Amino acid sequence: VNHIVHNGGLYKRPFNEAFEETPMLVAVLTYLGYGVLTLFGYLRDFMRQWKIEKCQNATEREEQKDFVPLYQDFENFYTRNLYMRIRDSWNRPICSVPGAKVDMMERVSHDYNWTFTYTGRVIKGVINMGSYNYLGFAQKAGTCQKAAAKVLSQYGAGVCSTRQEMGNLDKHEELEKLVARFLGVESAMTYGMGFATNSMNIPALVGKGCLILSDELNHASLVLGARLSGATIRIFKHNNMQSLEKLLKDAIVHGQPRTRRPWKKILILVEGIYSMEGSIVRLPEVIALKKKYKSYLYLDEAHSIGALGPRGRGVVDYFGLNPEDVDVMMGTFTKSFGAAGGYIGGKKELIDYLRICSHSAVYATSMSPPVVEQIITSVKCIMGEDGATVGKARVQQLAENTRYFRRRLKEMGFIIYGNEDSPIVPLMLYMPAKIGAFGREMLKRNIGVVVVGFPATPIIESRARFCLSATHTKEMLDRTLKEVDEVGDLLQLKYSRHRLVPLLDRPFDETTYEETED
Amino acid sequence: MNVGVAHSEVNPNTRVMNSRGMWLTYALGVGLLHIVLLSIPFFSVPVAWTLTNVIHNLGMYVFLHAVKGTPFETPDQGKARLLTHWEQLDYGVQFTSSRKFFTISPIILYFLASFYTKYDSTHFILNTASLLTVLIPKLPQLHGVRIFGINKY
Repeated sequence: VNHIVHNGGLYKRPFNEAFEETPMLVAVLTYLGYGVLTLFGYLRDFMRQWKIEKCQNATEREEQKDFVPLYQDFENFYTRNLYMRIRDSWNRPICSVPGAKVDMMERVSHDYNWTFTYTGRVIKGVINMGSYNYLGFAQKAGTCQKAAAKVLSQYGAGVCSTRQEMGNLDKHEELEKLVARFLGVESAMTYGMGFATNSMNIPALVGKGCLILSDELNHASLVLGARLSGATIRIFKHNNMQSLEKLLKDAIVHGQPRTRRPWKKILILVEGIYSMEGSIVRLPEVIALKKKYKSYLYLDEAHSIGALGPRGRGVVDYFGLNPEDVDVMMGTFTKSFGAAGGYIGGKKELIDYLRICSHSAVYATSMSPPVVEQIITSVKCIMGEDGATVGKARVQQLAENTRYFRRRLKEMGFIIYGNEDSPIVPLMLYMPAKIGAFGREMLKRNIGVVVVGFPATPIIESRARFCLSATHTKEMLDRTLKEVDEVGDLLQLKYSRHRLVPLLDRPFDETTYEETED
Repeated sequence: MNVGVAHSEVNPNTRVMNSRGMWLTYALGVGLLHIVLLSIPFFSVPVAWTLTNVIHNLGMYVFLHAVKGTPFETPDQGKARLLTHWEQLDYGVQFTSSRKFFTISPIILYFLASFYTKYDSTHFILNTASLLTVLIPKLPQLHGVRIFGINKY
């Protein structure tokens, strides 16, 4: 049974995305769970205040108790009463390279996660399902590592200057030409930090009097960059092209709020793969809308570059589109390339402008040379220019792993969000207690996963997130699936009702209200 | 920004009451409270209904109109720190569906309690007073108003 896809002619391949709705019983139980935790939180706070229980939080000094309080302790309520109970699922120290398997330091807590002590034992060989290691370039041996070590001995580790002063190495120029060739754009510029790429460059592109249309679930770096720029921000429903088109039409018809003047620029901010949902942006439709309403597109390919597409060139390659249609292509080297930093690619005039006017270029130190060499070697490997077929094999292996893993999890009966082809697999947990239980049970079985709950996700959508890698062998995946199956039976996580026709749109409330800026 | 937050919602508290299943959970919670009170052998049916009404209104007053701010840090530089949960709902837009639902439900409970107490005068006074404590703060004219400076900071 197939849904009729809107604008089906734009897609050259089937676009299968599903977000199964929360079952009502599960939602009610989740709210009850949070309610019970809240009541117990109030009880514990009461006992701490009346000194029946020892308060292990940071408190004001005795001499300053009569002053106006420095912190509002209600703002810490969730941290104290919910997060502390399951805190051992986060910030786990690892002590090896985060490849397909990782070594973790074992820690125990004798006072319910307020303090941790290390037992001294190292848990070896934990299957790593949490690192953004899509193509497996997080290695400590291999061609990338050898090249990076050579450059380290030649150039040193630090650059000690910004790009505009003395920090522009020939390695940076080589990298930028290579990245531009990889993406298929005219020119590119690289920065030392991926978050800073977004937050420092969006203010250089738009300002007051411009309009930013940003997706509901955009990353914090995009939101920060949009706020710093001073432009008006309007949010459209996640991956919903009707919502985006409505906003575009309203913007063009009504113009700026009071003066009705036309907007100076309209910039659409989307991401390639959304890291918490596993959904892929509907890029053909976004580009069609952009062309129809004459606005600009900023595509953040942090998670999709290297991970999608038959040649590993990202979401533009995945849909078979022309990279010149995207005005600003941004991405990071942190995920698929095993390095650090970000890039922006586009037309030569745009990149030349950014070289002068971007905060990152003027004030931030440029990328360190061994990191640059790691990126150069890994990009050449993916493109196949170093003569071997390792890169292409890895891209294909990642696609196979993704399909296999998702299919098996769906067959087992878990609710999985997102697109069939995205290597990020969110598995829904829903209830607050299951968040902690899932993380701990998986670690007992030597598998490391990342779990997230409220308020980082909506209240009834806590999840565990698996990030697949090309270096996960089929045995590792099978073992992970077996353990997830066991834990799923133990914690009763198999909520899916195997609807024949999956919901194509993410379930959202009919009307939502935005914060008004006054 | 809160690290690791997966959405650009500034204050998640504004959307909590609109989420799927919240109204049903609330109705079930009130029902459970009533059944527990009815099961206590010392309370007659009118007393149980009045107690349900009063305890429900007390709980609603405390959680929606007395407690201020959010139990987590929000990136809005403290705009919601002095607002009660009712004032934070939907960023202060009045007459949204959640607000209508939570205004009507104590009224329905009041009707039921009046019927089951056979309009006896003591019960009537108690129920009406308790209904007023929970209806008056919901009026749009009282948005952000703190009478006599109570609960201001």
